[in-house]
Amino acid sequence: MKFQIEKDVFQDALNQVQHVVSARTTLPILSNVLIEANDDGLQLSTTDLDVTITMRIAADVSRTGATTMPARRLASIVRELPTSEIDFEVNDDNAATVKSGPSFFKILGLPSTEFPTIGEFGEAKEFTIDQKLLKEALRKTSYAISTDETRYVLNGVNCLIGEGMLTLVATDGRRLAMVEQDLEFPAGNEIGVIIPTKAVNELQRLLNDSGELKVALTESQASFELNDSHLITKLIEGNYPNFRQVIPGEANHRVTIEREVLLNAVKRVSLLVNEKTNSIKFSFEDHRLAISANSPEIGEAEEVIDVRYDGPKLAVAFNPEFVMAPLRNLDQDEVFIDLIDESSPGVLKIDEPFLYVIMPMRVAN
Amino acid sequence: MQSHLTYDATEPIPNEQLETLWNSVSNDLREELGEGPFSLWFSEFQLTHAGPEGITLLAPGTMYSIWVEENFKDSLLSVFRKHVAPCEQVRCEVVCSSISDTNISDKGSMKGEVTRLKPRVMVEKISESKLLERGRAAGLVDTFRFENFVSGENSDLAWAAAQAVAEQPGKTYQPLFFHSACGLGKTHLLHGIGWESLRRRPKSKIIFVTAERFANDYIEAIQKSSITSFRKKYREADLLLIDDVQFLGRKEGLQQEFFHTFNSLSDKHNQIVLASDCPASEINALEDRLVSRFQWGLSAEIHRPGVEMRAAILRRKRDDWGNGVSDEIIDAIVERVRGNVRVLEGALIRVAMVAAMNDDEEILLSDLDKILADICDGGESRAIGAQEIKRAVAEHYDLDLQILNGKKRTARVAEARQVAMFLVRKLTDLSLVEIGASFAKDHGTVIYAVKKVKAKCETSSSLKNTVELIKRRLVRSGSGDRVRGGNARQKSSGLRLPDGFDRTKNSGLLGNSDA
Repeated sequence: MKFQIEKDVFQDALNQVQHVVSARTTLPILSNVLIEANDDGLQLSTTDLDVTITMRIAADVSRTGATTMPARRLASIVRELPTSEIDFEVNDDNAATVKSGPSFFKILGLPSTEFPTIGEFGEAKEFTIDQKLLKEALRKTSYAISTDETRYVLNGVNCLIGEGMLTLVATDGRRLAMVEQDLEFPAGNEIGVIIPTKAVNELQRLLNDSGELKVALTESQASFELNDSHLITKLIEGNYPNFRQVIPGEANHRVTIEREVLLNAVKRVSLLVNEKTNSIKFSFEDHRLAISANSPEIGEAEEVIDVRYDGPKLAVAFNPEFVMAPLRNLDQDEVFIDLIDESSPGVLKIDEPFLYVIMPMRVAN
Repeated sequence: MQSHLTYDATEPIPNEQLETLWNSVSNDLREELGEGPFSLWFSEFQLTHAGPEGITLLAPGTMYSIWVEENFKDSLLSVFRKHVAPCEQVRCEVVCSSISDTNISDKGSMKGEVTRLKPRVMVEKISESKLLERGRAAGLVDTFRFENFVSGENSDLAWAAAQAVAEQPGKTYQPLFFHSACGLGKTHLLHGIGWESLRRRPKSKIIFVTAERFANDYIEAIQKSSITSFRKKYREADLLLIDDVQFLGRKEGLQQEFFHTFNSLSDKHNQIVLASDCPASEINALEDRLVSRFQWGLSAEIHRPGVEMRAAILRRKRDDWGNGVSDEIIDAIVERVRGNVRVLEGALIRVAMVAAMNDDEEILLSDLDKILADICDGGESRAIGAQEIKRAVAEHYDLDLQILNGKKRTARVAEARQVAMFLVRKLTDLSLVEIGASFAKDHGTVIYAVKKVKAKCETSSSLKNTVELIKRRLVRSGSGDRVRGGNARQKSSGLRLPDGFDRTKNSGLLGNSDA
């Protein structure tokens, strides 16, 4: 196998695929990137057996073939190479020589035959969808994914296509983020899958702000084809619990707040968060919101911001991190917080089909 | 707390006691969490087991069990410990394959076909209450909708343009510029465009402001050094509706800011709609680059409604308000009151009020003149006379009235005479010949005087100010112009000459008595 390639192209592609490679793995081949050279160019693949990413890039191939190279090492070498043209040649023992101007590297790889092949992709339902739409929806929900491995069904984003809607949900039992986008699509094609965290993260990295992607879903696998990349992931098996059970009904009070103002205020006040309760207090009263934290051993902080609220005096305590997470991942100017009372879940909404349920903390006061 | 009975859980508690135990625990939980949260989370829970290895609750769904375990585990444990000893742990179980747990069933597959998922275009999906909420937040007034705008010959162009813009903002007319005398519906159309756009595109960002409000926001932004958020607010609007743009006149800093706002919006093809009481070119001391931008799109004038239109408008108003004034009375009002729509509405309200006290329509009709006396007077009958103008000019120049009519031609007298001719020409219906006669001159002199003053006004601000001042005094002195009584928002179009006369354009000095 022999090819010549532009450094930037090679480097970008290696960066994209190397995230999948786990640092510590029992199978050495999983630290490697599969490089296949054919007449169209190069194809780079990495896998951790759950998620597989493949990228096609242009290269001047003079001899076709395939090999695997340690992904991270190759990426760091390519990053440092001095010239924009790289000559790459692999012999039959999977030893690669990399030449770039005055630099010369010899890297030992493993045979491509050891690289695990992706299981047969069964009969799938296929969709095309706007990349930006999916990217935004993942961004608005993925931070709420549970990291508690004993509740493995919650370790991903639940993605439902049905009833004229694309619904994405993530929850960890204390908060829940949901995007519900109206879609036009023929009936009789409903499906619900749970996309695991790692695939969600990789997908967000790959998605662009324009163009479409092709999604294929089976019971156990999902494939996402976009631009020149292809991501295949195993799905989390099991039923995602019915999240609608925890979305509160009609609220009594609505507060309208500027998103950035709220985010910055919470960020500041949370510097003095009470480590025991990990909560900060939100007191709403007559168009003002006082955010306060009180930590007996450290001190206290308070910030008052202007909001639109004309309901009665109301004080609720929230985990500041849970308040900031959605605010960081939205880009609307204004957010609404719907409250029922001091101890019922609050709901953060925006002008778009999104909601975020957050449990108030109970504080002795 | 209510129950001091402690259950012994060294052996599994018999089923028949579980219910009473759960009741006591429920009461304590209710007290601790409050009724709302308790019924939200625990109302459908059941206690299924209590024994040495712990307590098991049956949850109505997996999500309930997860949230309750995450959020209420400590409360549950502490409450149970009051009633049960020993109590090691509390677990939630879920009824297997509970129906409420399935989100969506996997129905048949469509092999080989790729389904395109695309966002549905949201049309009319906004509820009236949401619409109202958003509209009000954007500064729109509830009642100024397209539905209750009465269009007619006088407003054909403006009405069609407003509809087109609401339908396809940023595409057809950029900017759309309404101008007319006051009270003829500019503001109504602006608000109407706002409401209609919001109804069609509930997510679009709409801002309605008067130019004065824009100015105040700007000043405040400078004071609070929050100019970035000011710019963000205005430059990111999908639809910017600005009323009374004549207010921008003479305010250079503001014009500069507005210029940039305008450009940034129009670069993004976001719609701008402006309303002014005079054509862009007549706005006092408005930078040329703004004038040319205002004239760039479509300029639509709303004319004074004819008798039929006025009657139609009043009938609509009557129907809206539900007062039982008859068509005859409306016709009679329309004949007597020639002012703008606001004056008409005022007249209608007054008549309706009198009618409510007095049932007899005959009497009402005959009394109409009396009832509307002052409003009628606001009409043409109380025009400013040539004599009045001359007196005001003479007073200003500190001259004897007779000298204006005389032959003396010192610079001062000549200027005063010319200004007087100019104002008479502008403020009255008199013909050139008539004006000439009243000054004992011919009509050529009048034409020359008008031209001269106009030209001088453009170069000399002192003369311009003089003319403005006299005019303002005249208007303020209560005589009003020939169209209506004194209103703070005095309009130039009210001073327009009858048809058949050469309309003096570009008379910036007539535009802004209120600037």
